[in-house]
Amino acid sequence: MAVVGAFCVSVNREACLNAQMPGKCATCAEVCPHGVYVLDLATGQMHIQNYNACVGCRICSEFCPADAIRVNPAESEYLSRYPWTLAAVEEVHAKAQTGEYLLRGFGTQGPTPNFDMITVVPSQIASAAPRDKYREECDLEVVIGADTCERPLRLKLPFVWAAMSFGALSLEAKQALAIGAAMTGIATNTGEGGLVPAEAWLARGFADEARTRKQWDPGGYLIIQWSTGRWGVSVDYVNAGDAVEVKIGQGAKPGMGGHLLGSKVTEDVARVRGVPVGSDALSPCRYYDVQTLDDMRHMVAFLRDVTDYQLPILFKLGPSRPYADVAACIEAGADAISIDGLVGGTGCSPDIVTQGVGIPTIACIPPAVQALKDYGVHRKVKLIALGGIRSGLDAFKALALGADAVGFGSAAEIALGCRACYACHKGNCPYGITSQKPELRARLDPVEGGRRLANFIHASAEEVKILTMLSGHRAIAELTTEDLRAMDLNTAALTGLKLAGYERPLPIWEALTPRPAAEPRGANGNGLKRARPKARRVVRGKVPA
Amino acid sequence: MKTIDAKAKDLQTVNRAVRAAVNGEPVIVKHAAHLHGLAAGLKLGQVEVAGDAGDYLGVLNAGAVIHVNHDAGRYAADNMTAGTVVIDGDAGYGAGQYCYGGTVVVRGDAGDFTATMNKGALILVAGDVGDEAGTYMLKGDLVVLGNAGQNFANYLIRGTVYLGGTWQSLGHNTRQEPLTEADLAKLRGYFEQYGLQADPAQFKKIVAASAKPFYN
Repeated sequence: MAVVGAFCVSVNREACLNAQMPGKCATCAEVCPHGVYVLDLATGQMHIQNYNACVGCRICSEFCPADAIRVNPAESEYLSRYPWTLAAVEEVHAKAQTGEYLLRGFGTQGPTPNFDMITVVPSQIASAAPRDKYREECDLEVVIGADTCERPLRLKLPFVWAAMSFGALSLEAKQALAIGAAMTGIATNTGEGGLVPAEAWLARGFADEARTRKQWDPGGYLIIQWSTGRWGVSVDYVNAGDAVEVKIGQGAKPGMGGHLLGSKVTEDVARVRGVPVGSDALSPCRYYDVQTLDDMRHMVAFLRDVTDYQLPILFKLGPSRPYADVAACIEAGADAISIDGLVGGTGCSPDIVTQGVGIPTIACIPPAVQALKDYGVHRKVKLIALGGIRSGLDAFKALALGADAVGFGSAAEIALGCRACYACHKGNCPYGITSQKPELRARLDPVEGGRRLANFIHASAEEVKILTMLSGHRAIAELTTEDLRAMDLNTAALTGLKLAGYERPLPIWEALTPRPAAEPRGANGNGLKRARPKARRVVRGKVPA
Repeated sequence: MKTIDAKAKDLQTVNRAVRAAVNGEPVIVKHAAHLHGLAAGLKLGQVEVAGDAGDYLGVLNAGAVIHVNHDAGRYAADNMTAGTVVIDGDAGYGAGQYCYGGTVVVRGDAGDFTATMNKGALILVAGDVGDEAGTYMLKGDLVVLGNAGQNFANYLIRGTVYLGGTWQSLGHNTRQEPLTEADLAKLRGYFEQYGLQADPAQFKKIVAASAKPFYN
């Protein structure tokens, strides 16, 4: 409810078709996910019935055939009324009236520590010379499981689609993600809702189930998610992809399982998930069949076994205790670890969890990298950063902080046309991305969607390439924290990056770390370690927190 | 009948040998209690485990018949989709979890969280079950001839739970229903098929109170 009352909606009645001809147009009421507009059935006239509900997505503006709607930010109440802003007041009223807490989709709203307060350090005369983006090569490939399985995942670009399930997404959106992955050589992910059969061949670039028609080059990969609800899981499911991802948590609701409300569990979704039509698919918050870290090791072992030691095993973490959680994943036998930060999105979650639980992405990466280094597996066990990554610029910063690849979730939905209305859970997505309604799904063409996604990936890859090369590197694997500077104290404190102008990490980091001179220059940026006693390593036999 | 001695062997070695062997004839595996994930993901065949089995016995079973002549560890028949797992002794924590199909028979007692998130299998326990058995079942049958611990059938969504003995406490979102003729015939059939001595008419039948207990 953080956005309630934050926008002013105005309709130019001179242009509005309904104002001129009542009953002839009700587009705004039809597309608004939040009931801002209402059609008076007696008079045929449109009215704004609840401007406070506007979240600023501007879907109404986009769909309005007369371009008659303007949505503008209202004056911030955070200065004049905080903490009892209109949003806070309305939230209390809503709970008082219904006795229910709020649910919503998408990610965290409002300011959180983010990549924008980090700047990229270009090369000049004192460091390795910049590389020529236009005339020289840059290696963006990422290989997962090179030493541990027969069929490593060879991502052409350092990107994956974040796990988003069938049910949360429409069939067409799932197909578009697979096609987009095939067109760019990256990986799509089943999410925890079972396998949409077409994903398996579309992701590899084939247009048909028999895989006789290769339509999209270079072909991508499919990651199979193994999760706490185990929806649609069988031995064939586990073997249908190119990697298996063990989901521990996600950024939008760490500590809780997936939420798919019954209204989106159609016959098709129910068939794939193996659940009753209309039932809520509320995944458990933990694995019922894992009680200790040893159990998790055994789970990894049997997953390797049933996939005949062919496929890499990935883990996905929510943003909790990045150092200890990553250490636990390493001990469990992960080939790659995704860590999804606070801003990570979702199809449905309690509002307070998405809004108030978890560690920001920029603060997850440094301790995760430190854990990998302490175990001697940094760059070997791959780290994938997720949670609010919007562009090649964000991706570059995550890579320079020490990640090997990044995941796009919300950005992928936006590339498909989404305007961030925060109502994915309602199933009325006007773009057919998070809806199961046939009339809305028909608006999303999977091939066109795949092309848009591929365009987004290509553009983001070029951005990463530009930044990598202007920093003097030939490959993303060369990036270090020395390629970044924090632009404010908070970001420097959260990340351990050198503060711009000060040119050193903050003293709170220096006091905890070995002397910088002990590290070869450029070996790993500032080369500093957060001093962590070895005793903090994960105790065997304990479940990851 | 081929025999595999699993002593001092690892999971990869033993499971590869089992997969190669079950294509032709039943296979006996002995000294396998240290292996967690024995006979994982089989689609056919018959496996006899001589002695105890470790954790995750028959995980992702998709059609094999697996018989343990003593006890099984935790999470037996985890995520099975088809086939049969019969345990002559006791089963540890979490037997028959996440199953979509097939049959699990435990002739002794089974631990806590037995049949959790059952989505279509028959889970039959001749002895007692621990706490939280049948939690979040979505389909299928759980039949317990003995007694149950606390929170029995907690947050049942679909499927049916039958109990011959008594429970310490019944879980949320449950209600008792009278046995129908179809229930009696079904239970009688189960007992005859697996050689169990019990009177179906003495069983209590538990179903979900609401198909949608959250977010109405």
